[in-house]
Amino acid sequence: MKIAISGLNNTDNPAPGIPVAKSLKGHNLIGLSYDPNEPGIYQGFFEKIYLMPFPSVGWEDTKERILEIKRKSNIEAIIPNLDAELPMYIKNQNLLKDIGIKTFLPSLENFEMREKRKLSEFSKKLGVKHPKTIEVISLDDLIKAVKEIGFPVMVKGNYYKAYIAYNLDEAVEYFYKISNEWGFPLLIQEVISGVEINYVGFADGELLGGVGIKKLTTTELGKVWSAISIDNKELLNLAKKFVEITGWRGAFELEAIVNGNEIYLIEINPRFPAWVYFATALGINLPEMMVDLMEGKKVEKKLNYPFEKMYIRYVEETVTDFSQFTTLLTKKEL
Amino acid sequence: MLINEMIIDENGVAFIPSLGISFQINETAKEIIELLKEGKTKEEIVKILSEKYERDWREVYIDVEDFFIKLKVYGLIQ
Repeated sequence: MKIAISGLNNTDNPAPGIPVAKSLKGHNLIGLSYDPNEPGIYQGFFEKIYLMPFPSVGWEDTKERILEIKRKSNIEAIIPNLDAELPMYIKNQNLLKDIGIKTFLPSLENFEMREKRKLSEFSKKLGVKHPKTIEVISLDDLIKAVKEIGFPVMVKGNYYKAYIAYNLDEAVEYFYKISNEWGFPLLIQEVISGVEINYVGFADGELLGGVGIKKLTTTELGKVWSAISIDNKELLNLAKKFVEITGWRGAFELEAIVNGNEIYLIEINPRFPAWVYFATALGINLPEMMVDLMEGKKVEKKLNYPFEKMYIRYVEETVTDFSQFTTLLTKKEL
Repeated sequence: MLINEMIIDENGVAFIPSLGISFQINETAKEIIELLKEGKTKEEIVKILSEKYERDWREVYIDVEDFFIKLKVYGLIQ
């Protein structure tokens, strides 16, 4: 099957596209990029790269581009990996199916249910704690929220970025920093101390595979740089319950904090995380499971994996002709 | 108690599989943890160690008590 994959940024703020592509070696892969500077373009995983219109331009442009790519490269499936494009793909998954392009995505209802600003309510359904969170759309709101929660607070964008603020000056600085780039609303969240653990899962109405980790080191943006696989029954049960309640279809990542006997749900990402290759390397290839289900194959449930395995990212370099970059920039494909 | 799931490797590093956290420990700490995992109380551990190393139990008690406080701080025992 010919599969198109987005999210090719492979810097120290990596998108999930390259780990997904690495997990799908052996398939014919097409790269969907938003920027010729994305390093993943030049790593040799894709038989063809297409530049895509930004999701903010709207679905019509994206649809036209997908139809063109379908015509030129005959893609049969798309795995979208970026938060900003997911709502668009989720809303139009049936339309894509009609034109012969498979996806494996959650319903719009499920996607919206786990949004950061709705997570307090959703956590109650899951029977799990969630740090106090207040949605803000103005400086006045911000001041009220930090008064109510008390410092330190997390200042979070609805899709991207999160910073810890220890005083009002810092909170205001992050308020502008995030809102200038990503807009509103922002979320002001209580800081929970404890051990942060994560779970990547894949489901089709039931949990089919997953791996739990603890991040050992992170980049300045909090992206995992090294991690260790863990065996946490509560986290696994939370993942199972999440899938059971929502009937989740597709990939997801749970971010949680363990504080003593309490487990706090911090975030649910509706896609593979950029560290998904860790699961692949442990024998649980979640992108391959997704492709198997797209192809109508049966998949074997895989929830057991070795713990105390360490994952380490590293920097690699490559050299290519500058004409590759300029071709992609001008012709929108490579 | 998290201490019950603790795994100690050949480098003297204790690992908690459910949380992915680890601690470097010395031989005495390893001995106390193993006794704790066997279900021994603090008093029993003090008695065993003071007899084994032929030290006054009061002296051993201070060190064991100090180690128990550390275990509590790290959330490894209640």
